Amino acid sequence: MALYNFKKIMVVPTAKEFIDITLSKTQRKTPTVVHKHYQIHRIRHFYMRKVKFTQQNYHDRLTQILTDFPKLDDIHPFYADLMNVLYDKDHYKLALGQINIAKNLIDNVAKDYVRLMKYGDSLYRCKQLKRAALGRMCTILKRQKSSLEYLEQVRQHLSRLPSIDPNTRTLLLCGYPNVGKSSFINKVTRADVDVQPYAFTTKSLFVGHMDYRYLRWQVVDTPGILDHPLEERNTIEMQAITALAHLRAAVLYVMDVSEQCGHTLQEQLELFNNIRPLFANKPLIIVANKCDVKKIEELPEENQKIFADLSAEGISVIESSTLTEEGVIQVKNEACDRLLAHRVDTKMKSKKVHDVLNRLHLAMPAKRDQKERPPFIPEGALLRRKAMEVDTPKRKLERDLEMELGDDYILDLQKYWDLMNEDEKSDKIPEVWQGHNIADYIDPDIMKKLEDLEKEEELKERAGEYDSDEESEDEEMQEIRALAKQIRSKKQLMVLTSKEKDVHGPRMPRTATKVEKKKLEKEMRGLGLDVNDNEESHYVQQVRRSRSVAKKRKRETSAPPTSKTRSQSASRPPRDQSGLRDPKMAKKAKKMMKNSQKDMNRLGRKGESDRHVFDLKPKHLMAGKRKSGTTDRR
Amino acid sequence: MRIEKCYFCSGPVYPGHGVMFVRNDCKNFRFCKSKCHRNFKRKRNPRKTRWTKAFRKASGKELTVDNSLEFEKRRNIPVKYNRQLWDKTVEAMKRVEEIKLKRQAKFIMNRLKKGKQLEKEEAIREVKKNIHLIKAPHAGKAKKLEEKMVQKLQEDVDMADGDI
Repeated sequence: MALYNFKKIMVVPTAKEFIDITLSKTQRKTPTVVHKHYQIHRIRHFYMRKVKFTQQNYHDRLTQILTDFPKLDDIHPFYADLMNVLYDKDHYKLALGQINIAKNLIDNVAKDYVRLMKYGDSLYRCKQLKRAALGRMCTILKRQKSSLEYLEQVRQHLSRLPSIDPNTRTLLLCGYPNVGKSSFINKVTRADVDVQPYAFTTKSLFVGHMDYRYLRWQVVDTPGILDHPLEERNTIEMQAITALAHLRAAVLYVMDVSEQCGHTLQEQLELFNNIRPLFANKPLIIVANKCDVKKIEELPEENQKIFADLSAEGISVIESSTLTEEGVIQVKNEACDRLLAHRVDTKMKSKKVHDVLNRLHLAMPAKRDQKERPPFIPEGALLRRKAMEVDTPKRKLERDLEMELGDDYILDLQKYWDLMNEDEKSDKIPEVWQGHNIADYIDPDIMKKLEDLEKEEELKERAGEYDSDEESEDEEMQEIRALAKQIRSKKQLMVLTSKEKDVHGPRMPRTATKVEKKKLEKEMRGLGLDVNDNEESHYVQQVRRSRSVAKKRKRETSAPPTSKTRSQSASRPPRDQSGLRDPKMAKKAKKMMKNSQKDMNRLGRKGESDRHVFDLKPKHLMAGKRKSGTTDRR
Repeated sequence: MRIEKCYFCSGPVYPGHGVMFVRNDCKNFRFCKSKCHRNFKRKRNPRKTRWTKAFRKASGKELTVDNSLEFEKRRNIPVKYNRQLWDKTVEAMKRVEEIKLKRQAKFIMNRLKKGKQLEKEEAIREVKKNIHLIKAPHAGKAKKLEEKMVQKLQEDVDMADGDI
């Protein structure tokens, strides 16, 4: 309902901010450029748009404020009353009314000026009209400054109100200041209300939640109430009164038995009687708090009589102490039970009950036979219940041990283990060995398996599987290996030397270069041949022959060579005659040559010697613009 | 605390090391180092990546079926601690480890034996083919021939002497 909307109210800006925002928005979101020479309708439209835009913005925002703020007639009377107490109903309504008026005024202003704009005949006039319109709207808003500020404060306070559901089960705490209401709520719920020795520590309502019997309960803490008539009450007290008046809750009237709050029991009783009318139709419990200081039995006679009277009227009086926590649970239970009963009663009396009752049906099964079938309660549950009721000495808890030992306490869960041997509990269990997890090897029959494995191993060893079979190689094999190694190294060397030669281009055959005698001899000696300086050996004769031929050539000056080529080709037959025995063979060879060329010649294809253009698209012809040349040549 | 196995290379993942990847089908993949993790992300098959144990086992380069390997098995039912059992297990573990290593080494050695055979044949072939690079075919033949002739002459001389 209106419960959560309080937090969703939009921020109410101050008047100045409001104006700034809207005007800057107008400037940003509407077109900005207009010139004198535009057509007049365009100029008018331009300025009209600005006026309307501003008006629209103001209207929207103000409407939002008006709808966001709760209408006091629409919300639960508890909240309506609370807001009245806190913010003054009249002031609130006035502020909202002023906002409404402002909104209407702004609308009217805009309407008027838009109408006037239709008759603007120049840019200057239209502009002035727009200025006037905007100015008037802003002035209207400036006058609402105080309303807007007030509304903003209301909004902030409203969003911080505790979310009390007026319809659910509630316990309400009331009483004089400093009697122990906030302490009670701290104990019973998870709320954390300030508890201080001075009066009026709690200045507003506080809510805490608790569970009882699987239901959610609200506990409302109120500020303390003093004893004076309604008219003289201040805002803080009025909040408490409002809560008392409107919430259908169980009332816990807290009294301070020890009179530490600064008020005697008589005064407290007076207050009680004064606000009694507010407790009509509500389950009431009197909580005699601070009983750890003074019990009712220790009180003087008259005071005891007060309590006796109250009990006689049928109001339950329960002693409690929020300090020692005795009786707090009792109070809670009693209050909750009474409230539940009261609520059920109310529901039964209302008309809606019949809808529900008609649908409910309690089935009572008919007895089949006379056999007794009692409910089964397991032993453990019985034991536990017994332990809860009687104050038997409980077993020593870890917590107690921890408290005892203080700093030396070490949590040792190993002592709870259920092992076969009790003294093994404190063993350090190994987990890992040399990269293997011991847990992977754990097996009850591991010894048996190990035995089998050992047997297998023995068998294998006997069969000779593990004998190292290094056959000693015979000499021949070793020799072969050595030779192979030599051969491989020689090969590598040869490869390296040939790489080193670094010859690019066509290579001279070995026969073209002259081989020195010494080199030849060295090489042959390396290969194991015996090359002593033998006079009859072929290579020596060859050397002599070639030398002699060269010498002869030098001495004779007759018949100098006609051309260089002649001298070389003279010693060798020309290529078309080499390898041919007789003219018949030569003729046949020539014929074969001609034959093989026939096909190519017939096709007229390019041969080796035909002109070949190496560069089909030379850059100097293809690049560049065609300036003053021709494209005849490419 | 346990030493897990890397999903990719089957190496040990010690506590505090490596990365675990949990897939949408709730299968965990542990990796010992980012190399394995990155290979996995590139969807490489460990059975085809040569340096992993998975490859080696799948392609028969390592001992796969053996009784000594059956001892280390992940057991899902925990056994209650019993000092005697633990002691025995630790002893057994050490012995099993010895035997396992021996068998694995033997397996690999057997596999590599073939290589030695091939090496031998290769050497013989090399020598047969390329002996001419280091030794001329009739390197010592001239001398031998000479010696033979000398021997023959000597025999003739002896024979002649004998005749006479």
